[in-house]
Amino acid sequence: MSEETKAPETKAPETEVAPEPVDPRVERGNERLEFLRAQLVSTFGEDVLEAAELKQFQPTFTIKNAHWVDVVEHFKTHAALGFTYPQLMAGTDYKEHIEVYVVVHSFTLDYDVALKTRTPRENPSIPSITHLYAGFNWEEREIYDLLGVDFPGHPDMRRIMLEDHWIGHPLRKDYVVEN
Amino acid sequence: MGEIRTEELLMNIGPQHPSTHGVLRVVVKVDGELIVDADPVVGYLHRGTEKLAEDLQYTQIIPYTDRMDYLSSMVNNHAIVNAVEKAMDLQIPERAEYMRIIVVELNRLMSHLVFLGTYLLDLGAMTPFLYAFADREKIVEFFNRLCGARLTYNYMRIGGVKWDAPNGWLDDVREFVPYMRKQFDMFHELVTGNEIFLQRVKGIGQFDTETALNFAMSGINLRSTGFNWDLRKNKPYSIYDRFDFDVIVGENGDCFDRYMCHMKEMVESLKIVEQALEQIPEGPVMGKVPKIIRVPAGEYYSAIEGTRGELGVYIVSEGKDKPYRLKFRRPSFVNLQLLPQLLKGQSMANLIAILGAVDIVLGEVDA
Amino acid sequence: MADFFSWVDKPLDGMAFLNMVIGAVIVLAFILGVVTYTIYFERKVIGWMQWRIGPNRVGPLGLLQSIADVLKLLIKEDIVPAKADRNIFLIAPILAFFPSFMVLAVIPFSATHIFTAASNVGVLYYIALSAMTIIGVVLGGWASNNKYSLIGGMRSAAQMISYEVPLAMSMLGVILLAGSLNLVKIVEAQQAFPYVWYVVPQILGFIIFIISATAELNRTPFDLPEAESELVAGYFTEYSGFRFAFYMLAEYVYVFAMSALGTTMYFGGWSGPFLPGWLWFAIKVSCFIFFFFWVRATMPRIRTDQLLTFAWKVLIPLSVVNLVATAVLKYLLK
Repeated sequence: MSEETKAPETKAPETEVAPEPVDPRVERGNERLEFLRAQLVSTFGEDVLEAAELKQFQPTFTIKNAHWVDVVEHFKTHAALGFTYPQLMAGTDYKEHIEVYVVVHSFTLDYDVALKTRTPRENPSIPSITHLYAGFNWEEREIYDLLGVDFPGHPDMRRIMLEDHWIGHPLRKDYVVEN
Repeated sequence: MGEIRTEELLMNIGPQHPSTHGVLRVVVKVDGELIVDADPVVGYLHRGTEKLAEDLQYTQIIPYTDRMDYLSSMVNNHAIVNAVEKAMDLQIPERAEYMRIIVVELNRLMSHLVFLGTYLLDLGAMTPFLYAFADREKIVEFFNRLCGARLTYNYMRIGGVKWDAPNGWLDDVREFVPYMRKQFDMFHELVTGNEIFLQRVKGIGQFDTETALNFAMSGINLRSTGFNWDLRKNKPYSIYDRFDFDVIVGENGDCFDRYMCHMKEMVESLKIVEQALEQIPEGPVMGKVPKIIRVPAGEYYSAIEGTRGELGVYIVSEGKDKPYRLKFRRPSFVNLQLLPQLLKGQSMANLIAILGAVDIVLGEVDA
Repeated sequence: MADFFSWVDKPLDGMAFLNMVIGAVIVLAFILGVVTYTIYFERKVIGWMQWRIGPNRVGPLGLLQSIADVLKLLIKEDIVPAKADRNIFLIAPILAFFPSFMVLAVIPFSATHIFTAASNVGVLYYIALSAMTIIGVVLGGWASNNKYSLIGGMRSAAQMISYEVPLAMSMLGVILLAGSLNLVKIVEAQQAFPYVWYVVPQILGFIIFIISATAELNRTPFDLPEAESELVAGYFTEYSGFRFAFYMLAEYVYVFAMSALGTTMYFGGWSGPFLPGWLWFAIKVSCFIFFFFWVRATMPRIRTDQLLTFAWKVLIPLSVVNLVATAVLKYLLK
């Protein structure tokens, strides 16, 4: 039943702007969002999703941490999806939790999708997807280095930018520069 | 004959080394001259640009982007202003768009000239370096006249560009285009036909499209494998859809193809500059933008075709005048990941040839 | 001036010995002058080829630049790395330098060779001594206790040993034609009947010679032992001051010596119309030196494996072909 409760939430902004002519980019984005969402739900059910929304024309899915690898793998390997080209991986400290944001591109569908997952700030950990996208190897190391997120399953989890004995993770919002 | 006892040698190439293009360090294990294992160590030039950006207003971030890929600062400027404008859904004046395209393409040309020079220098030929830099100097001079800086331009603003072209500038660029075209004949004659050069780069550092895609490679590194992917065509931004130019793709994905892609892309850049010079309208170069730029709350990712690949900017905004989080997707950093794989089993001399052809800028790798 | 060689058929007395010492010192001073201006010439020529000016600050037209550089090197601190093999480290540059100077003893600078010897084994003497430089280079690379130096030294050994073979074999053709190992006789043979320099009948041999010579001199495109972009400075990475200067000096003396050898073997040495012999010699040697610099300004660097393959699979078979062809030709024409 969670589908029922979630759906109006994501559609809310759209109904608000409905009186004006709808931006074709929003329309296109919503089509993509619905398509991908349907694909995802038909395979995994509703539980894996925390949110599915359109963020400035970009379909964005927030995946539950535990299902992260499975869902990403599905997006990559499913014949109808084929999101094979990794583009961006970024981590953000949201004070309550840490979020990892991934953009992957599909040449079959010819558009991007943004996937996100969250982890608590204490002992943050997100399963590694390096085995799926080798291009995220260093990105995960960078997030580990600057935000302190552990990626179990990563082949070579070391700091990348800072020295090995550095204390703290600078991109965290509560990081204090010591003199 | 008995087995000869040999030992592997652990070598630190860099961070101070003539041809690591800055402060890259590659820890290689060599058996004789063959590389058994290679581990690139980066971060010597890490300045925390992303962290700094969190305390800066959007306009104040622009000079910091100059220092990332310091060979193509204009392109970096374009990446950040383009990202913010997209997030705010801003329209910018036509003339500003054209000015941006002209400087960005000139900058791409300039950066590729540096590639040409330094790559040949890595391979032991000194003269092309000076020839390439002599021509690069002309573009540097253009930029100097335009914005008073030779390397870190800080030229673009959210909503336009800072200065209009000074008197006669556009005409001088117009004259420069045919001159530069002629120069390529000379470069090809000097370098491309050289047998030793071909021996050094053909079939070296080869990888296929699948590997390149999986390793998130972009730009020339991806296109050299024969895969047609150029954000200027595939995800048109700014006004690139108005120009007629070809996307250069290679065939084999070896160092030679990467070299040729650079060479041909310079000609395409000239084409774009030429067309932009023809089409450029009169008018203002700065649009009407709010005094304090506030990106509406949300998450935005937009990318442009940088000199070295997909140069993306990810902005998380809370609707304030400063970004909550700013992440640069730096092509050099991403492209460098494949290096250990490429180096395995190669000789020391090939290390230099491969690293040079991947074409990294350490300012961008480390950000 | 015949006194200089009086010891050949008379017992060696004090005067003859003094003459020998004086002669050696004069040649050394002369060579130092030549090297100084070879370096200046190189920088100017390459500067000209690369659209730059080259040295122009020290003295008129920058003529004193090399002298200033040498002075700087001489007064620099002589640094020995703590982990280096001290004695070998200290002696290696000298070992590399002295044969380069000794080979000049057999080069006939002019028809009346005053300070040099008309040795009957001149060519062999040159090859034998020039091979000794490798020892200095390898020892320098080894003793520095630096990985770049070590690889540079090893590369150098592989390269010089490989290229010594085609170099010597290419010269055998000339020796066959002249019927002598004496460099003076070789020049005289070129002045005699067919009146052509050996570069014409020995064109293949000459090409092999010039390629091997470039490799032997460690000059671009064969400058692998000191491949800057790979090995920083190769075998002399750790050297500074006057020991570094010794290596540089050896390198440039060899450029001169190899050019002089090529001139003598293939271009008739001092012979030529109108102008005095020494001037002809100087002109020809300058052309050789210019050629080396020209190649340096044009070519990228070859790879080690390609370099060795090229020597063993291309140059050596070719030089054998050249040798056999020359022998057959000589027999038929006799």
